[in-house]
Amino acid sequence: MKSTRRDLFKFTGGAAVGALLSPAPWRLVTDTALWSETWPGVPRPATGEIGAKYTNCSMCPAGCAVRARTVNGQPVALMGVAEHPFSHGVLCPFGLAGHHLPYHPARLKQGPVAEAKAAAMEALAKCGKGERAAVLDLRPGRTASWTYRRALAQWTDAAYLAPPRTLGGVVAVNLAAAKIVLSFGAPVLDGWGTLGNAIAARDGFRLIQAETVESRTAVLADVWLPIRPGSEVALARAIAGLLRKEDNSSLQAAASQTGLREEQIVEVARELAANRPALVLDSQERSEILALNQLTGSLGRAIVTRRETPVPDSWKKAAAETELDAVADRSIRLLLIDESVPGAYVPWSAIERKLVADNPVVVAFAWSRGGYGRHARFVLPTAVYPEGVDDIPPAVDSPLAMFRLSNALVPAPAGVVNPAEFVAGLAGISASDALRERSDAIAKTGRGTLFTYADAKSARAKDVKPDDFWKALNQGACWMDDPPPRTEIPKLASRRATAPAAADDLPFAVVMADAYALPCSPILSKVYQESNLRLAANRAALHPSAAGDCGVKDGCRAMIETRSGKLEVLVTLDAAVPKGVVQLAAAASTLELFASSARAKVVRI
Amino acid sequence: MRGVFPFAAGLAIMLAAGWVGFPYAIYKSRPQPVDFSHKVHADKAGAKCEDCHAFRADGTFAGEPTLDKCSSCHAAAMGSTLAEKNFIDRYVTPGREPEWESYARQPDNVFFSHIAHVKRAKIACETCHGNHGSSDRPRAYQEDRLSGYSRDIWQVGERAKTTRASMTMNGCVDCHRQQGLSQSCLDCHK
Repeated sequence: MKSTRRDLFKFTGGAAVGALLSPAPWRLVTDTALWSETWPGVPRPATGEIGAKYTNCSMCPAGCAVRARTVNGQPVALMGVAEHPFSHGVLCPFGLAGHHLPYHPARLKQGPVAEAKAAAMEALAKCGKGERAAVLDLRPGRTASWTYRRALAQWTDAAYLAPPRTLGGVVAVNLAAAKIVLSFGAPVLDGWGTLGNAIAARDGFRLIQAETVESRTAVLADVWLPIRPGSEVALARAIAGLLRKEDNSSLQAAASQTGLREEQIVEVARELAANRPALVLDSQERSEILALNQLTGSLGRAIVTRRETPVPDSWKKAAAETELDAVADRSIRLLLIDESVPGAYVPWSAIERKLVADNPVVVAFAWSRGGYGRHARFVLPTAVYPEGVDDIPPAVDSPLAMFRLSNALVPAPAGVVNPAEFVAGLAGISASDALRERSDAIAKTGRGTLFTYADAKSARAKDVKPDDFWKALNQGACWMDDPPPRTEIPKLASRRATAPAAADDLPFAVVMADAYALPCSPILSKVYQESNLRLAANRAALHPSAAGDCGVKDGCRAMIETRSGKLEVLVTLDAAVPKGVVQLAAAASTLELFASSARAKVVRI
Repeated sequence: MRGVFPFAAGLAIMLAAGWVGFPYAIYKSRPQPVDFSHKVHADKAGAKCEDCHAFRADGTFAGEPTLDKCSSCHAAAMGSTLAEKNFIDRYVTPGREPEWESYARQPDNVFFSHIAHVKRAKIACETCHGNHGSSDRPRAYQEDRLSGYSRDIWQVGERAKTTRASMTMNGCVDCHRQQGLSQSCLDCHK
């Protein structure tokens, strides 16, 4: 029997049909996908003994208590500590996936440490008259912050810089005391303070959210006041006028600026007057808005003076905290920036004009190149949560001082740098035992209570020996101060408003979606961003009709242009964003672009 | 008729290869270290699943029993079977843990709580593990050469006779859906 070419095709066709009717190809597809999960480089938790470790999350200033389920010592799941008296067992989605952060593809593991040290020493030696070294600390109040201040005290005219803040330092918020919270864009229920504390206190206060975009906090608020962008101060002035029972001249203007009805503003003022203390918060901590607290009975009750967490007496000869604006332009020769832990972001344009024109040395301590690393001459890698050991200052909503450690649950890569020890080394002081020294100083005061996570027990600090106090902190514990013996009425710092330049010819007002934070778990940020639950740094949200006017569609590329620059983004259509507004994520790139201009235009690419 | 033959031959060969040859090729078999009879332990010793596959004090599942558990009864031979003699000679006397192959081990990216399913949801062991508890001798462990998963995850062989759901993700999701329970990713992929 002679086989023809046609027979071969028929045989092949039959074989193809037979293969498709068998399980082989379908299983191979599945198996290949599963096989790819075991490729080298894919993190795999160890198998072995199941245990638990305790720490505090340092990914944001809240510092929530964490119980890590471990397998063979490797954390595989994070959860809250239910009995914790302040965080109440709550962790945000970022905190729940915090143990993924060491595997973030953008993280740095090696850096030019020796070169950076040599350049820093040379810059210190070259500092001429009117020139200085400075440290910019994005999260002040830590023991590392004290190390910077002690180191800077060794150098002439050196400056310790921290982001300007009215609340969160010695002045804190007591949510539990507030009967009403009027929030001007502060994400009270979405990352502003300690999530567990806000949820625990939520039943006790009525929340009025004045915000342009219907944020997650606005959705959960009792009342959402959809005000026009940039009209927050006008609304605050009108409410102040009503509370002072002055003439209502500003009411009509405020109604016109905010887009609210006059009766709505009057009703808010009436509620604030009738339910004292009424707490007023502002996402940008503008003095004119926070000053409303003087009229609503908050000072001393919902806004309180917080004692500082004790430090050893020998540390108190340290450099004072200085705001960047107070430093002369073109005067910083050596700038060391600690962005190893997230904090408020200071736009680079504000920093850059303070640097000497002639070859300044900028060293950024960071875990990725996404922030100041784009501008610094040297970027030195740091440990990330939960690799490093660091303390977390009390959160903005903690009326009492606190001391808690973020412990190392996994070892840090060999090439990372401890920023505090690097700076201490430049100044010739020792900082390796700083956390232990501070722990001993707290234990020595005998003040406060030590809450240990493993057994959920509280003990008076005066009943705990310093060695045991330190041991407990390293195994997961939190020290909380006693209430101060007398109530001090806090003074709210008056800050000069730095309103972005008006550019009324540009059609869109810019609104930031979230508070600035460093990225977290690569898996979680992927989920958030792909689902648009949170805007990614390269996305802009527009109202569908506004997008239509600009000729852009969902998912297409566009350029956001301002007076100071432009940024390429992907467009997301969102009917919750008002017309005339473009919403962006608060990332380093966007904050720098919109520091000097709050208006933009959208151009299709 | 002759015209159909090449097509039918190709079809038949690939069907045979896919349904018969492929499973042999994709799985590699390993025998269990001990010729263990669940049936003898259940019938003669009256043992229940949880006597050996116990929960620890903190609620975690211990999985296969360690040698200590076996040695508590088999420090010396209790019967006259060759299997027991081999077990004592190879493992009990030298104090060496048997290297059991776990038919039902889930991959590392899955968190499965036995106590939530057994104690709280009252699901019988047989629901997922089939009639393994009444087997007279252990089957060879079959491992997928590509994925490294146990063949039992796919609900085949002996276990399939009494199992209502496979141990794949779809099996978990189907059961949770039927019961009206949470199906969040983070329930299992923590």
